[in-house]
Amino acid sequence: MARWGKARAGAVGVVLALAVWFGVVSFGIDGRVAHAAPTEIVIGAVYPLTGPGAQVGLDAKMALETAAEVINGSYDLPVPLGKGGGLPHLGGAKIRLVFADHQSDPQKGRAEAERLITQEKVTALIGSYQSSVAATISQVADRYGVPYIAADNSSPSLNRNGLKWFFRPSAHDEMFTIAMFQFFKDMQGKTGKPVPSVSLVHEDTLFGTDSGNAQHKTADAAGIKVVADVKYRANSPSLTSEVQQLKAADGAVLMPSSYTSDAILLVKTMADLGYKPKAIVAQAAGFQEQAFFDAVGPAAEGIISRGSFSADLAPHRPAIKPVNELFRKKAGKDMNDNTAREFMALLVVGDAIDRAGSADLEKVREALVATDIPGEMTIMPWKRIKFDETGQNLDATPVLLQYVGGGWHTIWPFDLATQPPIWSVGQ
Amino acid sequence: MTAETLAQVVVSGLLTGMIYALIAAGLSLIFGLMDVVNFAHGEFLMTAMYATFVLYITLSIDPLFLLPMVAVFLFAIGVVVYRVLIVRALSVKVNSGMVQIFATFGLGIFLRGIAQFVFSPDFKSLRGTMLSDKTVSVLGVFMPLPQLAASLVCVVAFIGLWLLTTKTHFGRALEATREDSEAVALIGVDRHFIFAMGWGIGAATVGVAGVMLSTFYYISPGVGVTFALIAYVVVALGGFGSLPGALVAGLAIGLVEALTTLLIPPSLKQVGVFGLYLLVLFVRPRGLFGNL
Amino acid sequence: MPASLPAGLDLGERRRRRQALSGLVVLAILLVLPLGIGDVYVRNILILTLMYTALSQAWNILGGYCGQISLGHALYFGIGAYVSTLLFTKFGVPPMLGMVAAGFVAALIALVVSWPCFRLSGHYYAIATIVIAEIVYLLFLNWDWVGGALGINVPFRGESWVSFQFRTAKLPYYYAFLGLAAVLWLASYWIENSKWGFYWRAVKDNPIAAQSLGVRLFRSKMVAAAASAFFTGIGGSFYAQFVAYIDPDSMMNAQLSILICLPAVLGGIGTLWGPAVGAAVLIPLTEVTRSYIGGSGSGTDLILYGVLIMAVATLKPEGLTGLFRIDGRIKPAAAPATGPSGSTHAA
Repeated sequence: MARWGKARAGAVGVVLALAVWFGVVSFGIDGRVAHAAPTEIVIGAVYPLTGPGAQVGLDAKMALETAAEVINGSYDLPVPLGKGGGLPHLGGAKIRLVFADHQSDPQKGRAEAERLITQEKVTALIGSYQSSVAATISQVADRYGVPYIAADNSSPSLNRNGLKWFFRPSAHDEMFTIAMFQFFKDMQGKTGKPVPSVSLVHEDTLFGTDSGNAQHKTADAAGIKVVADVKYRANSPSLTSEVQQLKAADGAVLMPSSYTSDAILLVKTMADLGYKPKAIVAQAAGFQEQAFFDAVGPAAEGIISRGSFSADLAPHRPAIKPVNELFRKKAGKDMNDNTAREFMALLVVGDAIDRAGSADLEKVREALVATDIPGEMTIMPWKRIKFDETGQNLDATPVLLQYVGGGWHTIWPFDLATQPPIWSVGQ
Repeated sequence: MTAETLAQVVVSGLLTGMIYALIAAGLSLIFGLMDVVNFAHGEFLMTAMYATFVLYITLSIDPLFLLPMVAVFLFAIGVVVYRVLIVRALSVKVNSGMVQIFATFGLGIFLRGIAQFVFSPDFKSLRGTMLSDKTVSVLGVFMPLPQLAASLVCVVAFIGLWLLTTKTHFGRALEATREDSEAVALIGVDRHFIFAMGWGIGAATVGVAGVMLSTFYYISPGVGVTFALIAYVVVALGGFGSLPGALVAGLAIGLVEALTTLLIPPSLKQVGVFGLYLLVLFVRPRGLFGNL
Repeated sequence: MPASLPAGLDLGERRRRRQALSGLVVLAILLVLPLGIGDVYVRNILILTLMYTALSQAWNILGGYCGQISLGHALYFGIGAYVSTLLFTKFGVPPMLGMVAAGFVAALIALVVSWPCFRLSGHYYAIATIVIAEIVYLLFLNWDWVGGALGINVPFRGESWVSFQFRTAKLPYYYAFLGLAAVLWLASYWIENSKWGFYWRAVKDNPIAAQSLGVRLFRSKMVAAAASAFFTGIGGSFYAQFVAYIDPDSMMNAQLSILICLPAVLGGIGTLWGPAVGAAVLIPLTEVTRSYIGGSGSGTDLILYGVLIMAVATLKPEGLTGLFRIDGRIKPAAAPATGPSGSTHAA
C-alpha cells in the first residue's frame, strides 16, 4: 500500500501548504493600534499595470511617485504641500503609496480596492484611468467610507450615483465637450464661418459611449448637424469600413473618442483611404499618448484635443517647469494630460489630510469637501479646485490644444492661448 | 451609400480577409491538420511582430527581407513548444484536447508576460519601412500597399502549404501520423519528429503573418488576443483539414465583416461574422470544405 | 457491447462511502473555516474559489461527464447575472427569487443553443460555443435597455438576505457559494451512480455503441446542458449581488469561459473532486500573483502565472486528483478499433 502512503503524504502536504499560506496572509491582518499621530499616511492607487492601458498605468505610477517626492522631499514648489517635509499638521508624516493592478477589469479593480482598504488600511484611493473600473472602485470606497479621488476618469456618470466619498478634481467629458463646442462658436466669431457639420466616432466602452452621447447632445443643442455617429468595437483588427463611412459622410469636423490602440489604427486607416477632414477635435485619451505620435508621425499634425494640462502654460503657472523636470527625470518624457492630473490628485488629497490634521476618514472627507485651492497653486489651467455636492470640481476649466510641429500648443481659451489655431473649417 | 463606398468596403474587406487567412494558415496546419489545439496562436503572432520590430530597429533591414529570419525563429519556437509542452498534453489518454487548451492557455499568458517585461506595454510601430503609410488608388478605391503585399504573401503561403501537405512525403506522413500514430511507428516514422516539424512549419507561417502585419499594425503584448478568435473561426468555418477552406473562409469573413458595418452599427460587425459561421455550420456541420 | 459496462456497475460500495465521508469532512472544514479568518481579502479569495468550484462543477456535468466541451459557458453565467439584476433593479423582484428565474432562463437558452449545436462534432462544437457567447456579449454591449457598456449598478437598499445585499459583510456570500458548490457536489455524486451518469459515460466513450443500446443520446445531452446552465446561471446571479455592478465585460467575456472550465481540467475532468481541487489551486494563484506581484507593472505576475499553469499541464496532465487517488475514475471502455477515424485520443 505504498501508493496510499504517497497519496496521503501528498494530501497532507497540500493541506499543510494551504494552511501555512492562509495563516501567513491572515497575519497580514492589521493588528495595528491607532496611534495618536501617524508617522506615515498610506494612499492606495489602482491602475492598469498589465494588459491594455498598462503604459498609462505605469506613467500614472511615476506621476504619483513624483507627487509623493514633492510632498515628502524639500523642493519648495508653489503647490499645496510644496514646501516638502511631509504633512506639517501631522508632524511631518510622510506619504507612502501602495499600487495595485486592476488589469482594465472593473471586477478586479473592485477586489484590489477592497484589498487596499482592508489590508493596507489606506486613508484614500486614487485611480484609475478607465472609467468603467472607476465605477466599481468608487462604489467600494463609498461602502467602506474611504475617499476616492478620480484623478483621470472622465465619464460624466461617475459623480451622478449619489456617492458621498467620490471626488473628482478634473473635468468630465460633458464639460470637455461643452468646451469644444464653445471653441467652435468662438472660431465662428473669429472667422465668420460656422461649423457646418460634425462626424462622431467613438469606441463602445463606458468612455466612448458617454463621450459620444455628450457630443451628440451638445451638437444638437448648438444646431450643428451630426452627419455620422459611428460606434466601433474597441481594439478591432480593422477599422476600414468605419473610416469609409466617415469619409462618405464627410463631416467638416471629426470628433473621435478613442484609446491609444484605436487612435493609432484610426488615423493610419484615414491616411490609407485618403481621408482628411478639415479638422479633428479629439476627446484626448489615446490622442495624447506618446505612442500615438510615434506611430502615426506626420499624420498627427493639426489634431486638436481637449485637455486638462498644457506644458506651455508655464508663464501662468510657475510650478509647471520644476514639476515637469522632476517627472522627466523619472519617466524620461514630459508630463501630459493624464500624468498632470494624477500628480495633482495626490496633492489634493494630501492637502485635505493635512488640513484634517489626522487620518480619521470622516475628518478627511470633511476636509476634502472644504477644499478650495486657487488655480495658481496648481499646474493646471483650472480656475480653482472646489468640489460641489456631487464631488465634482466645476471650476476645472479645460483647454484645447493643437499638435503643431511635434508639440502641443494651447489654442483656447484665447486668453491662455500661446498660438493661434490652425483652422480651415468653412473656408 | 454610394457605389464608391460599396466598392471601397468590398475591396477593404477582401484585403482584410486575406490578412485573416494568412494569420489562420499556420493554425489550419496545426489545429486543422494535426488536430492539436493551440490557444497561444495569437501570442505566436505577437512574438513574430516583436521579433520583426527588434530586427528592424537593430539591423535596419526592411521587414520584407526579414521574413526568412523571423520565419526560422518562429519555426524554432514552434518545435520547442511542441517538444516541451504539447508532447505531454498529447500523452494523456482522455481529454487530451482540454489539456492542450490548458497548456497553451498558460503559454499564451507566459508569452504576454515576457513581452511586457522586455518591451513594456507601450504600443510600438514600425515607421519608415518600404511599404508603410503608402497607399495606391485605383478608380477611386484605395488599397494600402502593406495590405496588398500581405495578400500576395498570403497566396504564396497557402500554395506553399498546400503543396507541402499534399504533394510531399512529409505531408502524407503528417496526415498519417494524425490518423494513427501507432501504426506509423510500425513503418519507422517517428511521430514526435513529424509533429514537431508540423508545429515548426505552422509557427513559421504565423511568423510570416506577423512580419506582414507589423508593417501596418501596432505592436503590443495584447495584439495577439485581437486576432486569435478570428483565426479559430476561419479554420473552423473553412473546415478542419482543408487549407483551401481556410483561405476561402478568411476572405468570406473579411468581406462579411466589412459589409455588415454598412447594415448595422459597426460595433456589432462581428455578430455578422459569427452569424455566418453558425449559419454555414447549420447547413454543413463540418465547415465549408471540411473532411475530418 | 462495451466491456466496461458490467465492470462499471460495480462502483464499489467502499469507494462510494469514502467519497461521501470525504465530502462531509470537507464540508465541515469549509463551514467553520471563514470564522477563523478575518482578513477581507482572504475571504474574498475563498468566495471566488468556491464560486469557481461551483461553476466548474456545473460545467463538469456537461463537459466532464457528458463529454460536450463547451468553451462559452460565461454566456449562462452572464445571462443569470443579468436576469436577476434586471428583475431586481427594474421590477423590484428580490434576488433570492430572481436567481431561480435566472437559472431557468439560462437553462432555456442552453436548450435553444444546444439543439442545433449538438450535431456538431468536437472542435466545431467548441468553437460554436465560443462564437455564440461572443454574439450575446456583443448584443448586450450594444443594448441600451440592459445598460449596454455602462453596465448596471445594483443600488444598495439596505442589508437583507432576501435582497441578498450586505454593506461590507462577506460571510453571507461565502455560505451562499458554499451552498451552491455543495449542491453541485451532491449532484455530481448522484450522477456518478445514476442511470443518467451511465448513459452519459456511454455517450462520451462510445457514442455509436451507446446509440445501439437505444440510449436517447440527444435527450440526455440536452438534459445535461440544461442542468449545467441552470446552476451556472444561479452562480451568475449570486455573483452579481456580490459585486453589485455588472457589465458585459465582467459577466460574459471569453476569458471567463476559460476560467470556468480550467479548474476541472486542472483537477481532473469528469471526476468528483476535480473541479474543487483545481479551483483551490488555480484561483488563489490567479488572485495572489496579480495582487502581490502585479503591482510592479512589469508583467512578472503574468510570467509566473503562465509558468505555473504550464507546469501543472506538463507534470500532471490527467489532473491533480491523480495525486491523491481519492477517487479513481471509471476507466473508459477498453475499446479496440473504435471505428474509421482510429483516433486514440478524444479531443
